[in-house]
Amino acid sequence: MSTAINSESNSYTKTITVAVLLALLLIFSFTSLRHETWLRLYEFFLWLETTPFGVIGKTWGAVFAVVEAVHLLAMALLGGAVIVSDARLLGWCFTEVPAGEIQDRAHKVFKIGLAVVLFTGVFMACGVAGKIYWLPVFWYKMLALATGIFFVFFIRRPMLKRDLDELNPRVVKLVAISSLLVWATVAATGRWIGFAGS
Amino acid sequence: MINEFLLDFAHWMEAQQYSQMLVAGYYSYSWLEATHVLTLMVSIGSLFIIDFRMLGLILTDVPASKLADRLHKPMIIGFVIMFITGALLVYAKPVETIQSLWFRMKMILLVLAFINAWVFNARMKAASGSWNTDSVAPKSLRNGAIISLVLWCGVVTLGRYIPYDWVDCGITNNTTILWAAGCVEQLNAL
Repeated sequence: MSTAINSESNSYTKTITVAVLLALLLIFSFTSLRHETWLRLYEFFLWLETTPFGVIGKTWGAVFAVVEAVHLLAMALLGGAVIVSDARLLGWCFTEVPAGEIQDRAHKVFKIGLAVVLFTGVFMACGVAGKIYWLPVFWYKMLALATGIFFVFFIRRPMLKRDLDELNPRVVKLVAISSLLVWATVAATGRWIGFAGS
Repeated sequence: MINEFLLDFAHWMEAQQYSQMLVAGYYSYSWLEATHVLTLMVSIGSLFIIDFRMLGLILTDVPASKLADRLHKPMIIGFVIMFITGALLVYAKPVETIQSLWFRMKMILLVLAFINAWVFNARMKAASGSWNTDSVAPKSLRNGAIISLVLWCGVVTLGRYIPYDWVDCGITNNTTILWAAGCVEQLNAL
């Protein structure tokens, strides 16, 4: 009984936290705060170009190209993990294997892919920081990435830690489709930075 | 001989109306390239998962042949989209692409990767049996998985290099590179 009450209050806390965060994000987006923050970040972006990553990225094109390739390969790995875990949630494959097992294993691969994507992404951003600062698509990508990370670690994972049979199948499918869309958006906006910057 | 033939073919493609339309369109080339690159998450993503499973690194609870069987469809769909968009990208900028050393090396690795995939599939079918539920596949399949990973990493890396002009026809004077890249006019001028 007390466990059920704790669990219920815990889920309310999470719901309230998400609602507050969304409200803060809306306030940030639709007030002058967003523009002021953007202006303040310019110095930081100029500083990024002076860091060792920035200097290497700007000086050695071959290193930058290799890091770009590793970034793409890590995105492929991340994509593979997302496909396996979401396809299982949608009931498209591996239905004979418990969903929890697939989620745990795929999440490990996902974390490796994400870590490499973030590391190589930061490296590349340092090399062209002064340029990407002015590109709206870069900020869309950052927003998509932050949404993806938040979605995975604060919504998807906590939800899937529960017994999936207890969850509404429609909610599980909705989460899987959202996950596929979020990561496709991250990849698409990332690719578009290259076009917008050239 | 082959370089002259390829260059003539590239010039013929470049003169086509649809080739010029693909480059002239404000977003068409970017959309093609974006689709080509993003489909990598489906095709090579699935391939990585299969290869890592064969090496016993991930999803060891799932029978290997079942994993390969289920991921086969998204992988093939991904590769088909990549080939169609890839062919259209070449069609849009034929001379530039055919005279790219990186593109030529990528094509060689691509052929090797497909030969490896064909051998790998044949071996997997021949070896189906007790190993299926083992965490690690037999040595011949593990070797195939390692070769596959190396070749596809090479394909992606060389693909990423294509836009870079380090060894383009007008940049380098090295005769071996000029020959390998098919820079017919530059070689004749030397």
